[in-house]
Amino acid sequence: MGDSAYSFSLTTFSRQGKLLQIEYALNAVANGRTSLGICTKDGVVIATDKKFSSPLVDSEHVHKVEAVTPSTGFVYSGVGPDYRVLVRNARKSSQAYLRHYGELQPVSQLVKSTASVMQRYTQSGGVRPFGISLLVAGVDGDGTPRLYQVDPSGAYFGWKATAIGKNYINAKNFLEKRYQDDMELEDAIHTALLTLREGFEGEMNAKNIEVGVVRNGKFSSLTPSQIQDYLDEAN
Amino acid sequence: EKQAEKIVTNPKSTAAATHKPIIDMSELTAEHIPDAREPSGFSFDHFHRNKVIADAAKSSGAALPSATKTGTTIVGLVYKDGVVLGADTRATSGAEVAEKNCEKIHFIAPNIYCCGAGTAADTEKTTELISSQLELLRMDTRSPSRVVTACTLLKRMLFRYQGYVSAALVLGGCDINGPHIYQIYPHGSTGKLPYTTMGSGSLAAMSVFEHGYHDNMAEAEAVDLVKRAILAGIFNDLGSGSNCDTCVIRMDGSVTMTRAAVAPNETQPLRDGIRHSSKLTIAPGTTPVVSSKFERFEASDEREDPTAMET
Repeated sequence: MGDSAYSFSLTTFSRQGKLLQIEYALNAVANGRTSLGICTKDGVVIATDKKFSSPLVDSEHVHKVEAVTPSTGFVYSGVGPDYRVLVRNARKSSQAYLRHYGELQPVSQLVKSTASVMQRYTQSGGVRPFGISLLVAGVDGDGTPRLYQVDPSGAYFGWKATAIGKNYINAKNFLEKRYQDDMELEDAIHTALLTLREGFEGEMNAKNIEVGVVRNGKFSSLTPSQIQDYLDEAN
Repeated sequence: EKQAEKIVTNPKSTAAATHKPIIDMSELTAEHIPDAREPSGFSFDHFHRNKVIADAAKSSGAALPSATKTGTTIVGLVYKDGVVLGADTRATSGAEVAEKNCEKIHFIAPNIYCCGAGTAADTEKTTELISSQLELLRMDTRSPSRVVTACTLLKRMLFRYQGYVSAALVLGGCDINGPHIYQIYPHGSTGKLPYTTMGSGSLAAMSVFEHGYHDNMAEAEAVDLVKRAILAGIFNDLGSGSNCDTCVIRMDGSVTMTRAAVAPNETQPLRDGIRHSSKLTIAPGTTPVVSSKFERFEASDEREDPTAMET
């Protein structure tokens, strides 16, 4: 990077002490489709709106909820291609961790390493920050389920429940009212679907949302028929 | 005058000044070969030199160091509903048994396992590496791993290391195309077979297989044949011993890994049979305590000034 014409960072401070590129990246996230997550004592649920602009899109083969290790999953709001780069990077680095330590990488370690990758792109030559915020669901070293959010700046936060993307303020208010510390995973999945439906444009069904669940230390993406079962219960 | 130069620069020949050196190694490397091109890809610079050394050693009667044999018996076979893998559990370090119950059947994927003969670290790390690569691939493609993929990844890596990674593998598993067994050699060659054996005990095991194998065996019969083959290796090959591990991988996705499926070399009964003198076990309290005194010892950091030694 040193001898390229772009050896200077594109993310520079404004007079007020702000990094405008990061603020603009956060705007890109706020324009993305809503994603949310809820963390309970027996598991984590993450969900996202997968509605496309045209009914002609083959949505079955687009995946927003992705497994990164057998026990952690990602979902995002923002620019899709940026997300895929981070998923690939996170998968490779957690395999390297597995080969090195002989254990699955705990979610807190994975979050730190992903966050540091995102931060690197705010302080390197010739690159722009990632246009996504991530929601990471997984289990920590001691088996406790955890939910994290990672922002384009590389800042990360642990959450009991949160939402990102379009309409995130309303979604977060909704979650705040419904969240209980002793919630169980099944309740959380129902609450997640209800919250998603609140801000949904048009009709929500099993094909235009995606749900990922961490249960008993294992992450899995729900199939459309499983989602349909939950939706039927909610009705 | 090139000859005279060589005699002067070769240190060996200054001691035995009247002897002309038999071989000057520098003569045989690339720089001295006329028309030598810039080497690309593999470097065969030392090919000629190595051949000359080997021939010289043979003619002078000196023995070149030989490769260490892989002490192991590993087998694999395909039966009606899947594959069965088997291995002994002895790890040797020269003529010494380094580990009496090591695990030679390695996990590669939920539907693929691999037996490894050769250098223990090489088989362990190679299978771990390919297992990691397959997990990444499964996440990328969202589909289960195929045995041929594991075989290809393994052989490409082993060939790249030109046999220096001493891993001889029997790879087995079930995928969408059925049950498969592959044999993979340290230099990277592979074979796809209904049944195979590898390691120093492979001949003993193969003789059992050739006698008893037939297509479409039932599971119980297949597992029994694998056990008998490994036992043949355990008892007839010094490099193999201790217990027999088996691993059954079925087309329905279930896997049964049995450590010590047969354990014919248990040492505990023999040890228990040794009659130890009762004088060797002294119960606590045998020696009566007459009196006891406790004194606190303060460890101090102060040291007396060391007096220098007089020489």
